[in-house]
Amino acid sequence: MSASRRSLRAEPRTARTRRQDWLPWLLVAPGLTWLVLWFVLPLAQLLPVSLSDTADRFRMTLVFSGRIANYTEVIGQYTPVLARSLVYAGAATALAVLIAYPLAWVIRFRGGRWKAVLLALVVVPFFTPYLVRAIAWTTLLGDDGPLLSALRAVGLPQGTRLLNTAFAVVGGLTYNALPFMVLPITLSLERIPTELLDAARDLQGGPWTVFRRVVLPLSAPGLAAGIVLSLIPAAGDVVNPQFLGGPNNRMIGNVMQSLMLVQRQLPRGAALALVLMALMTATVVVHVRRHGSSDLTLT
Amino acid sequence: MGRRRFLRHALLAGGTAALGPALLAACRSGGGDRSRRLVISNWPLYIDPTSDGVPGTVDRFRKQTGIEVSYSEDQNDSVAFFAKIQPELSAGRPIAQDLFVTPYWLAARLIRLGWADPLPLEEVANAARLIPTLRKPSWDPSGRFTLPWQSGITGIAYNIEATGRPLTSVDDLFDPRLKGKVGFLTEMRDTMGMLMLADGKDITQPTFAAAEPSFARLERAKKDGQIRAFTGNDYQDDLLAGNFAACVAWSGDVAQLALEQPKLRFLVPATGTTLWADVMVMPKGAPHRREAAEWMNFVYDPVHAARIAAAVKYISPVQGVQEVLARTSDTAALARNPLMFPDRAMEARLKVFGPLAPAEEAQFDERFASITEG
Repeated sequence: MSASRRSLRAEPRTARTRRQDWLPWLLVAPGLTWLVLWFVLPLAQLLPVSLSDTADRFRMTLVFSGRIANYTEVIGQYTPVLARSLVYAGAATALAVLIAYPLAWVIRFRGGRWKAVLLALVVVPFFTPYLVRAIAWTTLLGDDGPLLSALRAVGLPQGTRLLNTAFAVVGGLTYNALPFMVLPITLSLERIPTELLDAARDLQGGPWTVFRRVVLPLSAPGLAAGIVLSLIPAAGDVVNPQFLGGPNNRMIGNVMQSLMLVQRQLPRGAALALVLMALMTATVVVHVRRHGSSDLTLT
Repeated sequence: MGRRRFLRHALLAGGTAALGPALLAACRSGGGDRSRRLVISNWPLYIDPTSDGVPGTVDRFRKQTGIEVSYSEDQNDSVAFFAKIQPELSAGRPIAQDLFVTPYWLAARLIRLGWADPLPLEEVANAARLIPTLRKPSWDPSGRFTLPWQSGITGIAYNIEATGRPLTSVDDLFDPRLKGKVGFLTEMRDTMGMLMLADGKDITQPTFAAAEPSFARLERAKKDGQIRAFTGNDYQDDLLAGNFAACVAWSGDVAQLALEQPKLRFLVPATGTTLWADVMVMPKGAPHRREAAEWMNFVYDPVHAARIAAAVKYISPVQGVQEVLARTSDTAALARNPLMFPDRAMEARLKVFGPLAPAEEAQFDERFASITEG
């Protein structure tokens, strides 16, 4: 590094150093282009749309009018659904932590030579498409399905149901979040040297103390990354509430879909999308402020 | 299974696989191809398929006319389909299909927007066989833009074992004993039409004010947990799986499902219910008009129409189908089925949900969505 710096200072800018200047840009170009085309531009378009009036909802003719009321209206009307979405997403993320952390711990410290196999097993169910998994759950959780039939045989009261309830929606979201939780946590546990744990035990730390004061802080980056990776997709989910929930368990993604496709109120749909985005960004910013951005990059 | 299978079936049954031929066709016909081709899009399982060596209607048509037909079962959700074709049609560009089958109310919208071409009816001699009640309907007052594919009755399907008694009226859907076991349709006109009729309202000239008490009733039932789900065609799975004890349903589906589940019953409420139609529409600029005319003429031949009706068990729009079915012993029972061939008493209960002015339609859509998606 220092050698190259010296040479940069010593020599005039040659063709070689110029190439080195634009090489990094060349490397990020595909990613940057992708983001600009499919993220920045659509987002930039969403903003004026969200401030427009619908002149003809079927021809999709919008007139920009700076209509702030699109925001106040959707916030007024859909705050309960927004709150419900955040509660479901939060509950699913918390459950995923409770399930994933012990699992990651076992894979890391007890996996031995099976570690790779165990990790693969976590991921394998996700080779099935997302939608198919949700629909498979409808069969499992149905009123006469295998799960309830078995539970009824051991005394669950008649009339109890799982499908089309909040329980099923949160369950589906949790299931989807699992690999995004297990993998980063395992990775961060992987980086804890076992000598460190030995040292902690030598210093008379009981299992709980060792966990609380050594393992948990050192695995926090993975945990934080898992939380972000689970929370964001869960909050905007459409499929789980649609197939596993009932009409009282709809989430904000369903509302957006309805606004855009059925009601064809594009400006209100756009406003709601931006409100959700702002909420999620705020959540992540608070999270990053608290834990530091290094948590998210696992460095 | 029958008329409308929504998202889940689209993706499960390989919606993209079904789309393949249509996309290919779109590429090939891009250059003003005048060859004998035809691109049709319909709902899944809405025609007699080729099976056990017996050619279905599409194959018989191919053989008889030599027309290269691309028949896709890629209609799965009419609002999503509308969203897909809207950018092309509003820009004045033709879409991939020469002909597609869509609900009557969506056809009315396409006609109003000027996105449907008049059908080449002068070349469709069999169009004269259209049953009188469907001529010049409210959704197409000139009768020039649509020909019905099938029509059907919205009613109440229920599993008599689960309800414990025969259901007799729309009010039974609100019986607290069925709490959490009742389904309604996401198809707004079918759900609201039945409820409005039960409230004594005229649905042939619907107004938002007249609908409000029915909306309020639906909303209350949803909040109370009486309604388990609003569904598309997937109510069939819920009925068979025992998740629904009773639900709003379409006649042909139930006729087909009853073969699998003998406990299933279908009620056409005495207060009245909706008669709907799925109709053939030619989108603006569709290139293969002559071939489309031949297709419509073919499927309006009573012999072919009878094959389709026997498979899908909806109401055939073609006169003479009943006689054709009655001639053969294994279809004779179908000819006596009042859900396929409504008698006077049945006809008196059936009403078509009338056209809505644009502003009023927006109110209906928004209010309904506030209940189903809120």
